[in-house]
Amino acid sequence: MKFIEKIKIFNFKRFDAFEYCAREKRNIFVGDNETGKSTILQALDIVLTGSRTRVETLGLESLFHRDAVTRFLAGDKDLNNLPILRIEIYLNEHANIALEGINNTDETVCHGLRLVCEPMDEYGEEIQAALKQDDPLFPYEYYSITFSTFAGRAYTQNRRFLNHIFIDSSLIGTEFATRHYTKSLYEANTNLVQRHQNKHAYRQNKAEFAGTSFAALNEAVGGVKFDIKNDSKSNLEQDLMITEGGIPISQMGKGNQCFIKTEFALQQREGAVPIDLILIEEPENHLSHVNMKRLINRIEESTQTQIMIATHSNSVCSRLDLHNASLLSPSSNRPISLHNLSDATADYFVKAPNNKILEFILSKSVVLVEGDAEFMLIDGMYGNLFSEKLEDSNIHVISVGGTSFKRYLDLAKLLGIKTAVIRDNDGNCQKKCIDNYADYTQENIQIFYDRDDENRTTLEKCLYQDNEDLCKELFEPGRRTLEALEYMLDNKADAALKLLEEGMDRLVTPSYISQALTWIRE
Amino acid sequence: MDKRVILAVAGAGKTTHIINSLSLDKRSIIVTYTENNYHHLRHRIIQKFGFIPETVTVLTYFTFLYSFCYKPFLHDKYRAKGINWNTPPGFTLRLRRSDKIFYIDSSGRLYSNRIAKLIEQETVLGHVQNRLSKYYDQLFVDEVQDFGGHDFNLLKSLCSAELDINYVGDFYQHTFDTSRDGNVNKSIYNDFEAYQAHFHDVGIIPDTTTLSHSYRCTPQVCAFITEYLGINIQSHKDTSSEVLFLTEAEQIREKFLCNETVKLFFQNHMKYPCLSQNWGKSKGQDHYTDVCIMLYPAAMKAYKDGDLRNLNASSRNKLYVACTRANNNVFFIEENQVKQFSC
Repeated sequence: MKFIEKIKIFNFKRFDAFEYCAREKRNIFVGDNETGKSTILQALDIVLTGSRTRVETLGLESLFHRDAVTRFLAGDKDLNNLPILRIEIYLNEHANIALEGINNTDETVCHGLRLVCEPMDEYGEEIQAALKQDDPLFPYEYYSITFSTFAGRAYTQNRRFLNHIFIDSSLIGTEFATRHYTKSLYEANTNLVQRHQNKHAYRQNKAEFAGTSFAALNEAVGGVKFDIKNDSKSNLEQDLMITEGGIPISQMGKGNQCFIKTEFALQQREGAVPIDLILIEEPENHLSHVNMKRLINRIEESTQTQIMIATHSNSVCSRLDLHNASLLSPSSNRPISLHNLSDATADYFVKAPNNKILEFILSKSVVLVEGDAEFMLIDGMYGNLFSEKLEDSNIHVISVGGTSFKRYLDLAKLLGIKTAVIRDNDGNCQKKCIDNYADYTQENIQIFYDRDDENRTTLEKCLYQDNEDLCKELFEPGRRTLEALEYMLDNKADAALKLLEEGMDRLVTPSYISQALTWIRE
Repeated sequence: MDKRVILAVAGAGKTTHIINSLSLDKRSIIVTYTENNYHHLRHRIIQKFGFIPETVTVLTYFTFLYSFCYKPFLHDKYRAKGINWNTPPGFTLRLRRSDKIFYIDSSGRLYSNRIAKLIEQETVLGHVQNRLSKYYDQLFVDEVQDFGGHDFNLLKSLCSAELDINYVGDFYQHTFDTSRDGNVNKSIYNDFEAYQAHFHDVGIIPDTTTLSHSYRCTPQVCAFITEYLGINIQSHKDTSSEVLFLTEAEQIREKFLCNETVKLFFQNHMKYPCLSQNWGKSKGQDHYTDVCIMLYPAAMKAYKDGDLRNLNASSRNKLYVACTRANNNVFFIEENQVKQFSC
């Protein structure tokens, strides 16, 4: 089995220097928009495809790390400091002499492939002249595009060292993507000899067709003749398509295409060259919930293929085991891997319904609360205290069931997310709020609760005591038989809603909550 | 692990020995010095298997040096753009061996005779050995007698790789130093015993028996070479032939004009309008039935004095090459006797 062990990226798109140690089976990239999830997949696709033309078509200008270019042009423009674009793919050891060598930035003998775009030495003078002009442009024209193995051997798109397929949902439906995909699959399922045979047979059939069906026609017209084209634009590979139930896949819905493509790629035919790697870009974009689940199940079953997925979906991320997930952040050059997460926690997120895993992971500051009432009121309380909205301060509030707090706190520990936990003391704050979280309380994690075990055991009691007049006004008028506090305890959500709608401007925030909000805002 | 250098005689079947050692279940790498022999080996392998099997790799020595040793381990550091086959300029000999200029010319090409030194200097020998051990079960180096200078040192260093090693060559067919660099290994081809000792010292067993008999030369020719050139060679043949010195003008004229018999000159064979070749250049040719060897004045004198063995080593070896081209008779003619025919 061949698989990617590590990726290193320099001066490519968003990354000036990036490194990711891959997992043998599944790799999930999560991250906000513009953090480079898709860039990683694209980088892999480019190097594994080995097509110069492709790089030229994309244009070095769009591939180079913008800052590196700007920085160079703003600096002393020394030729020695011209940025070099490098993508290195370190592969597992599988005894391929063509791949093994020390030509990599790790400077160790191992298997690997790379793309290097660097200024060509022989154009040194021209580059210097170009840079001397006022307001010079970056000399992309003088850059070479070289695909080579770590053994120093150049390769082209004709040589596939690792068989991969890129399912890019943003391109799904485009003719290019479909053709590219069809070609990959065709090549993965046939060997060179078969392909030549097919090609030959196809041409022969065309010739026969022209010879017989056009015979009468051509005789009639005399002199000039009708024939069937045979060139780079009309051949077997161009005419190939994939169908299911007689329907060409390019005619299907995008969601279905995505599903079928993945499914097809995962099938490992006997005797065919196996597909070593599937790259999937945001599969959730075009998939219904049901198809999404099917897709995930299918991916889960596959054992032979390495998979890399970029996703925004909670279910993709958690169902495929959080251990495989890596978080990309705009500030860091190394994705944060969740492989150190405790098994129990990872397992929890696989099974827990409707978890807010990505929302949590992607936040810098989070307030975890235990019920709907807190969730509803907290934004208003924050507004009362600081005259701004939680959103604008980049603070997220997540409502968490009683036992799950620690699952989230495990993640907070690993990822360094600043987390405030707001809890009721339920009559025993030592046990419930102090001892219970002893292992978690640290610089970025604090627990907030009221210390009064007698009278202030829940949010409602605290609210009532701090806002007795308001509560009586809102909840006691004669139509109710219950006292205000009793009503509030029995109808937590309704009471919170009413407070939110009618009493927010007068509500006094219980001190443990304001402490929490003050701390999280720091 | 079998490590040996088989010192063969001319026509003893060096290539056949290598080809016979190849099999589909052993990963073999064969390195040879000359382009000619490279094609010959490929040809013989295809003859044996019908194609070049995936397990067999044939490389010329410089491809081996450049693509197998240099590129995987030093390419990023030196970024060479090829090989410079000329002798490096004299001043470079005074440079430190750690100086890049010693190895690489101003247009970025590596000096051919110093690539082996670069491998050693950059301490990537270990990597090269590992690469050999990992990907191959046996290494053959043919035409070992052509290795001099730094290349000879590399040959010795390779023996620590963990695979079977068979070096094959004919000491006396060493006719020119192609990769000399200053004084490095300058005199290894002066003395057969000392040459063997070089290998012995690094654990490579010198083997002078396996390929000690020629399939090409007759017992008479072998006896002549052993006696007059002082080079031990025996014959597998049971046919007999003659070694004759021609003196009669008519005989000389007839041989000179004979289109079946090749005339071998020490040098400048092109000056003579006949089927001819130079001694040294005839190396590798094995289809001549009779050969007619022209003796230049100094060789003539040595011949008369029965002292051919004391010609300088290079000339003696070339003469050995010339003599051993014959599948049958060897004739000698004094070169001065054919001067009249030159153009």
